[in-house]
Amino acid sequence: MSFVHDPQFGDRMITLMAALVLVLQIAMVGQRWLITNIRMFALQSFLLAAIAGTIAFFNHSNHIYIAAALTFVVKTLVLPILLERIVARVGIQQEIEPLINVPLSVLISGGLTLVGYIVAESFYHPEETSASAALGHNTLAIAIALFLIGFFMMLNRRKALTQVLGLLSMENGLFLAAISLTYGMPLVVEIGIFFDVLVAVMVLGILVYRIGETFDSMDVSKLRRLRG
Amino acid sequence: MVLLWLLLIPLVAGPLAFFLRKRPAMEATNVATFAVVLALAAALVAQVLRSGPVSYWDGFLYADALSSLIVLLTAFVALACSIYAVGYFRHDEQNTVFVEAEDVLGEMAAYKLRKYYSLTPLFVFAMLLVALANNLGVLWVAIEGTTLASVFLVTFYGRETSLEAAWKYAIIGGVGLSMALFGTILTYYAAHQIMGTDTLAGLNWSVLVVNAAQLDKPTMRLAFILILLGFGTKAGIAPMHTWKPDAYSEAPVPVAAMLAAGVLNCALYGLVRFYILASKSLGPQFASQLLIVFGLLSMGVAVPFVLVQRSFRRLLAYSSIDHCGIMVLALGFGGPLGVLGMFLHMTFHAITKPLLFFCAGNIQQHLNTDLFRKAKGGLIHSMPWSGAAFLMGTLAVTGSPPFSLFQSEFTILRGAFGGGYVFSSILFVIFLVAIFSGFLVHIANLVLGPDPGLHNGETCRWKKYSVLSLASVIIVMGFWIPAPLFRLIQGAAGIVMSAQ
Repeated sequence: MSFVHDPQFGDRMITLMAALVLVLQIAMVGQRWLITNIRMFALQSFLLAAIAGTIAFFNHSNHIYIAAALTFVVKTLVLPILLERIVARVGIQQEIEPLINVPLSVLISGGLTLVGYIVAESFYHPEETSASAALGHNTLAIAIALFLIGFFMMLNRRKALTQVLGLLSMENGLFLAAISLTYGMPLVVEIGIFFDVLVAVMVLGILVYRIGETFDSMDVSKLRRLRG
Repeated sequence: MVLLWLLLIPLVAGPLAFFLRKRPAMEATNVATFAVVLALAAALVAQVLRSGPVSYWDGFLYADALSSLIVLLTAFVALACSIYAVGYFRHDEQNTVFVEAEDVLGEMAAYKLRKYYSLTPLFVFAMLLVALANNLGVLWVAIEGTTLASVFLVTFYGRETSLEAAWKYAIIGGVGLSMALFGTILTYYAAHQIMGTDTLAGLNWSVLVVNAAQLDKPTMRLAFILILLGFGTKAGIAPMHTWKPDAYSEAPVPVAAMLAAGVLNCALYGLVRFYILASKSLGPQFASQLLIVFGLLSMGVAVPFVLVQRSFRRLLAYSSIDHCGIMVLALGFGGPLGVLGMFLHMTFHAITKPLLFFCAGNIQQHLNTDLFRKAKGGLIHSMPWSGAAFLMGTLAVTGSPPFSLFQSEFTILRGAFGGGYVFSSILFVIFLVAIFSGFLVHIANLVLGPDPGLHNGETCRWKKYSVLSLASVIIVMGFWIPAPLFRLIQGAAGIVMSAQ
């Protein structure tokens, strides 16, 4: 079992998982069902927790273990369950209706990934640091791509709940960025962010529920009475 | 210790109000809480002026002149709003605004009041934490907290339009703040490279500011842009301002006043903290240019909407966008006068804006509308005090002498000419004049004119005296600034100037 302790092996594992995270993000843009979308988000968060766990394992760092555990509990278990309950309660139709058709959306996501790589280039200094400290630095590009694609998802979708999903995957991108650049934020900050995300989803969930009740629809493009 | 009490008291008062249930008890706790908070804020200011920055818990909480100015303003606004809220919600209850179809026993009213009185202390807690947190990550968490605590205050009336406003507020705020979090992460990355520490102190502002000159330049450049976009969204800088008119016009008046005079300052405070780091690392030029562009854009965007505005609540929101632009612009002009002008403006604006909201609230409750079209004018006859105060507040907020906002705008302008920003100063003056004329015409049409024969609208003492006392503070401030307050403002400006 000596290969497990080899940082190069860890690096490959992280790269593989980060690539899967990106694939899941683009798949989320491409598919049409709300429940599938929520489950993909759960899987993506699980992979992020695994990345954090791997980095923690190679750096023997307790606070990254805690961040990984929090990601697993909050984003892989609690949030998807909350979101699915909202879907069941509101009784909305299941299909997502993007504004831009699927092939073009996927193409745009590909373009945004490229942008992510270009932006990340300016922060990428692999030669400056030792092998185990450089672990996961190449995932920054993927983190920026997640952030941008999440933003695109929010613009591209009309239903309230799918916008919440877009916001959450932007947050996943930020988590990956923090993990890959600095091995996470200080623990107090990390816990504060998780608390905020959890409360934000509850707040938005209640809003989605009440919008669904009041307007008989979750289509936020119907929210247009306030102008000027 | 005073720092801890400042945070603990509102944090406890929120849940307390939730369990009290009875209206008089909730009103009393609310007012008492904020009165104590204001007293503590004054104690903190005294301590900071006497013996320099205060910190607590190994520097987890930290207050210098800049933070204690924000704490003082927030506490002042919160107290004014809590006093006004008593009369405002009693009026709402009497006019059965809360009663919905199935509600016979007034349960809805009790439920809604409970929501207001338990959420506002938490809202104020988040604002105070913004100013007192030393760690920039905690600062971000607290700013996000102000959004989360206030979303359900915006949906207070439960109308379709208030849901719409709250949705825009939460989603636009959420996206904006996620950019700010990215900026914070990048700042931490830049700090990480030079200090190599994983401890909490790695993001502490008081530590970062000492080493700011060595922070990695490309990283800080991107970080500052993201922070400007992020906290700018929260402050309501154009073009990220679109949530503002909706939230300000749909929220109950005391909440709108707290958003306009409290959260605005907190978001700008976050921006200023990062501005200091960025200008120490990059030199002031880079940040200044961005700030000037966004500041002028905000003022410019506000102009047409002020000129053709249909509703006086939304008019106040556009005025708030305009003032946010002025403050950002002043920070961009920089120099001793520009920065001093910015903090003077922040102080005077935080005192004046609540008055306008309170008058607008009184008038809206009297007329049951916030549209100019439906108001027949001549309000001065049925509401002599609120009408006169609204007109006076309008003159004050548009910066006409002798009111204090004239002094701050004049200081900013002198700073701008001194710094050689001729073109920007000319635009600044043009926008100011346009907003002055638009604002004044609207409010004069509303307040003055022949008597339309409405019944007397000033029966509630709470509403009347909160307007009158705030108006007298503004008049006094026009002629005389208390010396300690001025020293505090100078101290805050000095902290920013140390970066330039």
